[in-house]
Amino acid sequence: MEFKQSFEELAAQDVHAEAQRRKDSGWRYVQILAVNLDNGVDVIYSYMLDGNLQNLVVKDMPRDGQLESIGDIFLESFVCENEIHDLFGISFTGMPIDFHGKFYRLSCDKPMTIISPEQLARREKEAKAKAVAAAKKEKDAQNASDADMEAKLAAMDPEKAAKVRAAMEAKRAKAAQKEAE
Amino acid sequence: MGKATVIPFGPQHPVLPEPLHLDLVVEDETVVDCIPQIGFVHRGLEKLVETRDYNQFIYVAERICGICAMGHSLGYAETVESLMNVEVPKRAQYLRVIWHELSRIHSHLLWLGLAADAFGFESMFMHCWRLRERVLDIFEKTTGGRVILSVVSVGGVVRDMDSATLQWICEVLDGIKDEYSKIMKTLLTDYSIKNRTVGVGFISKEEAVNLSIVGPFARASNVNYDARLFGRGAYGDLSDFQPILDAQGDCYARVKVRCLEVLQSIDIIKELSAKIPEGDIAVKVKGNPEAGAQASNVLEQPRGECYYYARGNGSKYLERMRMRTPTSQNLAGMTVALKGCDLADVNMIILTIDPCISCTER
Amino acid sequence: MGSFKLGGMTFGSLFKKPETLLYPVQTKEPYACQKGHVLNNVEECILCGMCQRVCPCNCIVVDKKIRRWVIDPFSCVQCGSCVRACPTKCLSMQPQCTPAGDAKYSIDLDVPDKKAAKQEQA
Repeated sequence: MEFKQSFEELAAQDVHAEAQRRKDSGWRYVQILAVNLDNGVDVIYSYMLDGNLQNLVVKDMPRDGQLESIGDIFLESFVCENEIHDLFGISFTGMPIDFHGKFYRLSCDKPMTIISPEQLARREKEAKAKAVAAAKKEKDAQNASDADMEAKLAAMDPEKAAKVRAAMEAKRAKAAQKEAE
Repeated sequence: MGKATVIPFGPQHPVLPEPLHLDLVVEDETVVDCIPQIGFVHRGLEKLVETRDYNQFIYVAERICGICAMGHSLGYAETVESLMNVEVPKRAQYLRVIWHELSRIHSHLLWLGLAADAFGFESMFMHCWRLRERVLDIFEKTTGGRVILSVVSVGGVVRDMDSATLQWICEVLDGIKDEYSKIMKTLLTDYSIKNRTVGVGFISKEEAVNLSIVGPFARASNVNYDARLFGRGAYGDLSDFQPILDAQGDCYARVKVRCLEVLQSIDIIKELSAKIPEGDIAVKVKGNPEAGAQASNVLEQPRGECYYYARGNGSKYLERMRMRTPTSQNLAGMTVALKGCDLADVNMIILTIDPCISCTER
Repeated sequence: MGSFKLGGMTFGSLFKKPETLLYPVQTKEPYACQKGHVLNNVEECILCGMCQRVCPCNCIVVDKKIRRWVIDPFSCVQCGSCVRACPTKCLSMQPQCTPAGDAKYSIDLDVPDKKAAKQEQA
């Protein structure tokens, strides 16, 4: 047996049907997990057959979204489902063992969806660094295109080149005016 | 049929080393239904990945559970390595497996002692823990810690063992094996232990497959699954590795499988320490996990298969780290095994499943 | 005979030396590589702050301005990452465990400024 892993996408409404299909073809339930991202919560279902570990990703669930429980097919999923409900706020319909949000004793609601101050500070820093890098890149590109143009103009006859230069100057002035507004 | 009564079992109970609560629905003396409940020791360690970088988190991963400390740090490191496409040197892989198998011996001996204590066999408890102390001594001498080893790093291991130390480990293990065989013989042939365990808490192979049970619990029901079979790391270099199976599916079979796994681990360590290649023990890991990169991994821990998931976000901090531990997979199997048993057998069944709650809740 | 299978082992223990130590009276000699506590040889320290950066439990604070190196031994987990990260090898892991204390404290070390001392001499 060799170990392989893969990530595939899965539509939110197919979760239950997929579980049934997997069970019928002999796959073993491994786990369910959730990841809190900017666009929502990704829920990942994992199944395994002979060392082939497949992770099916349900992308961008809304933060208070709802999924169908696979507890009637795989009873052991009740731990993960209750956990995701308590920590991420995704609810599951038809859980065989439902703790109604009392699975973990938590001091706040949906703790895993809270963005910690450290994380926020880091993200802001990264965004700033990214913006600086992007601005620098644009400037470089601008300079490069200017140099390019100069080279082209040098190849043209002087009368035409002067005309083009004047047109470029006007364009630049216009852009500057627009920016100032 | 008598009236149904609900008996609360745990979270504080003499047989339970960790807080697990069960609502047992009992008719006369027979358990007809059971609802497990955990959630007493949730610490939010997965959230901590946001404030600890991927090298630091290894020390958090170790502290998820005291008994599986080596397993968790190893599983975490392997997952991050596969996330960042790091190739670990061969010698580091061997050392990791040697320590991991030692921790399996220590976990099984601890469990055996607790189980013997639950039967009321207290001298056995002392003998098991006496032998376990020698394994902890090996840890102390080779890694500097008894339980929390802090020996795995992303990209390899942080300590090397010379050949004299490996030789010494083999000698200690020979000593353990001698005494352990006597203990095992007693445990597996004793009349009163058989009385308590044979035929109790039966799980058939079909049920075990349907409930996705993992680890020794599944192997006692003849499910041929062991994550070591994938032959990753140093496991691939073993001349012959076959998981220990038993077809009985009752408490006795589970005791037997764990007992034999200790001997198997001793053999694995001896074989690997004879074969260990020379070389580096770590590679330098540069850069950060890419944004949106994902990796999943399974590892055979003493209690069964453990699943790891990691996702990077381009910085040195991981976006998400997740462990799904063997016990969370086995809880459903436990409720099924408990149905129809005598109230007096409940503690025996729970112990032979060997739940580890602090792992499950993180 | 079904019983007394373990009897031989248990009986034999009567004549062997005990496996345990009488703890407060006898103590175990720690192994050389054991993780007891972190020691800083301040003479070598250059206050680079690498140890502070790699520490997973934020127990080391390095203040370059007042030349002070502080460790909180009660939050230190003896992982040894600071010792491995130290560029001048002034940090070392000592095998002896620190005795239990009845109050929390931190270890503040003033790092001598060798450069300034030299200048003064000159």
